[in-house]
Amino acid sequence: MTFLSLARKNAWRKPLRTVLLLICIAVAFLIYALTASFLAGSQGTSAASEDVLGVMSVAGRAQPLPMAHLARIAAEPDVGAATFMTRLRGFVGSEKNVVAVSAVEPQGLMSVNGRELGLTPALIGSLDQGRDRILVGRALAEAQGWSVGQLITITAFQMVRQDGDREWRFEIAGIFEGENESTDTYFAIGRYDYVNASRAKGRDTVDVFVVRPRDGIKASTLAARIDSLFANSAAPTRTQSEKQFLEAFLRQYADIKLIVNLVTGVAFVTLLMIVINTMVFAVRERTFEIGVLKTLGVSGGRIIALVLVETFLIVAIGATIGLVLAKLATVLVGTVLGLAFSPSVLAKATAIALAVGLATGLLPAINAMRTPIIKAFRAR
Amino acid sequence: MTQEPFITLAGVRKGYRTGSDAIPIFTALDLAIPRGDFVAIMGPSGSGKSTLLNMLAGIDVPDAGSLKVGNYRLDQMGETARSSWRAHNMGIVFQFYNLLPMLNAAENVELPLLLKPLSAGERRSRVAKVLDLVGLSGREKQYPSMMSGGQQQRVGIARAIVSDPKLLLCDEPTGDLDRKSADEVLEILALLNRTLEKTIVMVTHDPQAARSAKRTLHLDKGLFVEEKRAA
Repeated sequence: MTFLSLARKNAWRKPLRTVLLLICIAVAFLIYALTASFLAGSQGTSAASEDVLGVMSVAGRAQPLPMAHLARIAAEPDVGAATFMTRLRGFVGSEKNVVAVSAVEPQGLMSVNGRELGLTPALIGSLDQGRDRILVGRALAEAQGWSVGQLITITAFQMVRQDGDREWRFEIAGIFEGENESTDTYFAIGRYDYVNASRAKGRDTVDVFVVRPRDGIKASTLAARIDSLFANSAAPTRTQSEKQFLEAFLRQYADIKLIVNLVTGVAFVTLLMIVINTMVFAVRERTFEIGVLKTLGVSGGRIIALVLVETFLIVAIGATIGLVLAKLATVLVGTVLGLAFSPSVLAKATAIALAVGLATGLLPAINAMRTPIIKAFRAR
Repeated sequence: MTQEPFITLAGVRKGYRTGSDAIPIFTALDLAIPRGDFVAIMGPSGSGKSTLLNMLAGIDVPDAGSLKVGNYRLDQMGETARSSWRAHNMGIVFQFYNLLPMLNAAENVELPLLLKPLSAGERRSRVAKVLDLVGLSGREKQYPSMMSGGQQQRVGIARAIVSDPKLLLCDEPTGDLDRKSADEVLEILALLNRTLEKTIVMVTHDPQAARSAKRTLHLDKGLFVEEKRAA
């Protein structure tokens, strides 16, 4: 027997109470991990790059910018690489099944954003074999059930072809994985020259220029300089990092991060109160036994450690159950819901579990330590 | 040459406060117990038996006077030091056994050994030895709820002596037992005193239990009023 096994036996002496506590803790951590995974996932902004800048029209992304801006942007000495992109948004089958194709110059995209998107020379090369070829992100491919070589038709919401048709046909040339599981891969990459040549309106314009600053250059400084280039032009720009853009985009609907923090905050405050209350009572029930342990020579420090280990054990098991369930959820429906159970989510959950264990265990532990032996014996 | 007593109380004063009232228990208590003695302390309720035992166990301290056990001045030690002293120098047997219900007999006995730097093997060996000494070999895995009062008290005695303390304090060790079990427990205590030379101080109301001791001290109103030596 060890003090650890003594703490374990204490934790399990009332199995029903312990199981209910475990469920309570597991649910709180499940809520936290799912919401944090949502933030870290493709629907969120945590994985978005702060180094890659997007140059859009100051009037919004729907307003195109002239291709001529590219030469002036690329001429900026602090720009490491620059490319451009036009978004073709539409649906496949049902109108609710929205998909988007980023029409790009493949080599340009590779040099600016290739690493983050998990693009390889072979994937980029596969686009050269046909103007209508596209690369599909892993999340989109899995959600749609698409595979390499498949022909798909996207009905554009706005982008009309020269023949008046809205149907855009593509052949899937490859699937890109993204740098990690947090990378947004719920879109496709196509060729700008094909889309540009085929569309009826807006030729030689782009939705966004994508810029990677040179090493050591602060993105925000370069962003301000790029915007100043076009401040007095017919098409002024707003330059933001990918992360800033996504955050601003999501804030149009609601401050999701704040909502998530509030939900998890409420869940954990409730959890703290329940666990503290239960542990205080659980330890108070054992006041007499704590008196016996002290009489045998167990020091106040060990008494504190014993109660804390017991609490940590319960919190650790409950948190593990919650996190495992959250991981399962991200494996099963993560790509559809945009969940990414990243290492940072796990690290934060571990830190929260430690804090919860300490916060919930400390009060009953100190109470136990401070109870005089004679008073403890009267508790029988 | 006279041997120095193992336990010495000199001019011990102790009282309690209830609200604004001060209740004196001892005003000037003196006591000397030599090493290897087996002393029974008797007296009516409120005479100070439990207070004396608590002070001897380092659970409580005198308000004034000195209390020495072996080389330790308990009255001058802080709580942490007294806790450590208890772990290494004293064993205690309670009236209601006070075993931890979620631990089996062997685990209850092993508890004080967790405070010592011993390997798991050494702990197991010591536990087996003392359980054998109190006649409970083969019952290591039994939980307190599965044992009779007498068996539980024997586990309590095993727990008290497993650290091999020189001093054994017993608080009404037979108070919750039938006569047969009580006699068995007293026999074990006498054996421990006789063969292992444990110094035993036993508080009891039971005259028959007191007869197992080498001498009996009667406490009344905070003073020893009578001493009887075993024949």
